[in-house]
Amino acid sequence: MFALAWSNLTHHKLRAALSALAVGIGIMLLLISRGLANGSINEVNDRMQSVDAEIVILPAQDNIIFTNGAPFRGLHERFLHKISDEQGPLAADVIPVLFGQVRMGGQQQRLFGIDPAQMDVFLGSRRVLQGQAFDHAQDFAKRIDAEDPQTPRDTPLAERLAGGLELVIDERLQRVGEYKLGDTIPIMGQNFSIVGIIETGVAGRVFAPLQTLREIVVAGEPHASMYFIRLRHGLDPSAALERFAAELDARVELKSDYGRLLRESFASVNLYMTASSGVALVACFLFILLTMYTVVVERSREIAILKSLGVSRLGLLRLSVAEALLISLGGVAVGVGLALLGKLVIGVVAPLLTVDLSGSGLLVAVIIGVVGGTLSALYPGYRAARLEPALVLGNE
Amino acid sequence: MNDDWMIDIADLHYAYEHAGVVEPVLHGINLRVRRGEFVVIMGPSGCGKTTLLNIIGMMMPARRATRVTVAGQDTLHLSDHARTRLRRVLLGFVFQRFNLLPTLSVRQNVALPLRIRHAPIDGQVDALLEKVGLTELAGKKPGQLSVGQQQRVALARAVIGSPALLLADEPTGNLDSANAQAVLDLLLKLHTETGQTVIMITHNEHLTIGAQRVLHMRDGQFVD
Repeated sequence: MFALAWSNLTHHKLRAALSALAVGIGIMLLLISRGLANGSINEVNDRMQSVDAEIVILPAQDNIIFTNGAPFRGLHERFLHKISDEQGPLAADVIPVLFGQVRMGGQQQRLFGIDPAQMDVFLGSRRVLQGQAFDHAQDFAKRIDAEDPQTPRDTPLAERLAGGLELVIDERLQRVGEYKLGDTIPIMGQNFSIVGIIETGVAGRVFAPLQTLREIVVAGEPHASMYFIRLRHGLDPSAALERFAAELDARVELKSDYGRLLRESFASVNLYMTASSGVALVACFLFILLTMYTVVVERSREIAILKSLGVSRLGLLRLSVAEALLISLGGVAVGVGLALLGKLVIGVVAPLLTVDLSGSGLLVAVIIGVVGGTLSALYPGYRAARLEPALVLGNE
Repeated sequence: MNDDWMIDIADLHYAYEHAGVVEPVLHGINLRVRRGEFVVIMGPSGCGKTTLLNIIGMMMPARRATRVTVAGQDTLHLSDHARTRLRRVLLGFVFQRFNLLPTLSVRQNVALPLRIRHAPIDGQVDALLEKVGLTELAGKKPGQLSVGQQQRVALARAVIGSPALLLADEPTGNLDSANAQAVLDLLLKLHTETGQTVIMITHNEHLTIGAQRVLHMRDGQFVD
């Protein structure tokens, strides 16, 4: 039956090719949208996992992806240091991060405001490729931290920020934006200079001194958008998490759960993207259904001949399914090819986006192709099976 | 029931119904054809020849009759599936318009009934193509053949696998006289070699030569 189906398709090459292309476009949309979602989530998660900490504290009810960076009110790192058990404070280190926004590399980037003294926590084993992971900002941060918070600040902001307007960026962003050391980037009315370029894979793509962002965003108040907690050596992270959760009106999570939390936060968007692609794919399979239906109408005489020769209804249904399957599998191949091409194009047009075309995604594409192709052939196949050969051949 | 009869029909009536209009075609047909017999049915257009052939060939269900048996099988109450299965194992058809599959080659067209029956193809197809003089054209598509050649392909397809009953509906209707005679000669030769039962419909009196029995139909009935 596959030989007959194949000969039917090759007899109408253009129609078969257009049908396969329609399915291919649907498959490509599905693969690219899911690949973008998975790629982004995996990349963000991998970068967050690089931070040398076990626990993450976020504002309660905050969405881990769509957090607007609004800082905690009333939660300072001093308080987090005080949470203790019998052996002392649970946190060996509290790492505050204050988020900001900056447009670099052609798109909006999340700006990580971190204490320059804690840069090693983010760097881990990654190297500084050019410049330094903050230069004068180290001294600036010490100066700001040493100030008495009760003392009125009467110096102009620009003067207070001297030495603190530094940026450290990762190598991928540097390559995409063609940045070099000393380049000036305007952020919230201040001109920051790039002082360091670090290996890709750290939590953020752009870092600025925490103290600088605090001066600009929250008038120097010791606020943060989130905290990483590096636990005292030997502590069980889950038990420590319960202690922190009991003490805080905040969202306390294990850092190792960050990937799952990202996926949960992204679920609604993911669902929307999958549904959109699914609708496109259904339209593509309707195209196959229409094609197969047209084939049945057009070839009713040939179908009647087959039936007169003794091909059963099931055999005709199988013929219809075989043709649709060949179109669908061709469409899957086209779709995978287009998706790979799309990944290359995205890599050129938007190099900071990551498209993850995994083996499981490709397997899903094949399954969708097989199932969709089969389903779209059932009705035309049913119509073919019900043709009365004598009536069709007699009505010529 | 007599096993000598390939076809045994008693009091067969048939009417087409379309949009509420009933058009009677067959009026109490009685027909018996022995195994191995070559029968020709003649008659004017619209007298019911093709309808009768389609009912014998189980291409359409007989609705009203006392008896319709083909090769000993009561076909009067068969399901579509059972009729299809019987067509597959019992019958060969030759149509006026050849009804070859345009997407398949000559060899593939001839081999099709064997493939449908899941029967081994061996050398049967090539041997038959040689017998009908189409060996050179085995790889061609039907559209590349003359009408006479196409009908020979259709004939080869009808007789491959040696079906017990061969039904031919105006097999020479689209051919010139030379091709018509060639096809008829071939049909007679194959009948002689295989001993198949043949029922052929034709308008052409000249083509009845060689038939063992010639029946005439008019207004849905056999006439003397």
